Amino acid sequence: MTPFNRRIAVAGLALLAAAGLSGCVAGIGYDGGVRATYLGGYYEPYGYDYGGWQNGYRVGPPRGGEHRPDQASTHAYRSAPHLHSVPSLPRRTRGH
Amino acid sequence: MIKHTRGRALRAGLAFAGLLCLSTFLAAAQPAPLMLPPLADPASSEHHAGKAIWLELVTPDLAVAERFYGSLFGWSFHALHNGDFEYAVAWLRDRPVAGLLQRELKSGERRQSAWLTFMAVRDVDAAAAVALAHGARIITEARTYPARGRHAVFADPEGAVFAVLASQTGDPPDYLAEPGEWIWSSLQVPDAGADAAFYQALFGYDVYDLPSDDGLEHVILSSDDYARASVNALPVDAVHRHPHWLNFLRVTDAGDAAERAVAAGGRVLVEPHADRHGGRIAVIADPAGAPLGVMEWNSSESKEEPK
Repeated sequence: MTPFNRRIAVAGLALLAAAGLSGCVAGIGYDGGVRATYLGGYYEPYGYDYGGWQNGYRVGPPRGGEHRPDQASTHAYRSAPHLHSVPSLPRRTRGH
Repeated sequence: MIKHTRGRALRAGLAFAGLLCLSTFLAAAQPAPLMLPPLADPASSEHHAGKAIWLELVTPDLAVAERFYGSLFGWSFHALHNGDFEYAVAWLRDRPVAGLLQRELKSGERRQSAWLTFMAVRDVDAAAAVALAHGARIITEARTYPARGRHAVFADPEGAVFAVLASQTGDPPDYLAEPGEWIWSSLQVPDAGADAAFYQALFGYDVYDLPSDDGLEHVILSSDDYARASVNALPVDAVHRHPHWLNFLRVTDAGDAAERAVAAGGRVLVEPHADRHGGRIAVIADPAGAPLGVMEWNSSESKEEPK
């Protein structure tokens, strides 16, 4: 191989290596694995009812400011102090 | 001898380059990652642990879902194409409000189309460790998506499925939702107190127990001094009830929204009625059966007592 041909071969190899490396970098996923497709979309089991609420079954947000009766109760969670009134939704609107 | 060594080096180099080329080809053959829009644009420095910051529907028919939600809530849709599935981002004016994912069911497979609730965290992996230590099980391992952030999906100890999301651009600021935006989330499970404790451990919520008219346990989860969600015991006569998160879109008239839902191919699961905040709510199902709530919210101070 002449020096000229050797230089051409080395340049070609360098180009191929650069292309290959860039491909590898682009192909590596965000977790270090292969490129991630989307892992979303959870179907729930079929055959259940989502209605049937009785009178008084209330799930909405409070208006805010309500105080709760100060009664001793035991829960699995730590209840907020009874001195604290129940919070509500944000009042601030966009552009204000 | 020198020539022989150079030849071997050249062959090795060519083989290396060939492998790199092959890897390039294989990488190009992989489906492109889903480019979900950032949650906060411009980026925000705000973080609101435990706030529902994204909702995603899985449905067998994206076109039907787009027609339904577009006609009811004024959403427009931007398709994101991926090799494996169809995905659309729903927009309300200049803001992304939800993701709609079409995932086909196998022939004969019966599953319930549903909305998945994404709650804000700063660190998905740290949240995963806490969730698993407190009785959750993992549904989908944590993954990171460009521009969006990192998320994982869990079933809580009572069986309700939810996701946590560390937004790459911070969390959306706390504004009152406009009509057509998500305004409230409600969890319904067999043991509301136990699940409230789980979410308190996970998100650091303040928990407010509320007096109830039905004798069931209802609590409010709060962070940053805002109510974020309610946890409610499933109704006592529940036979075929399933632990689940139920999310509400703000509407100006829940009765009108329920009627229009039926006209658009949906069903009414819970008739419009006044809730504790004074406004009316209803629960509807979209044409594929995915349940969601609609809720009125009067911004004024006046309060109509529930009847």
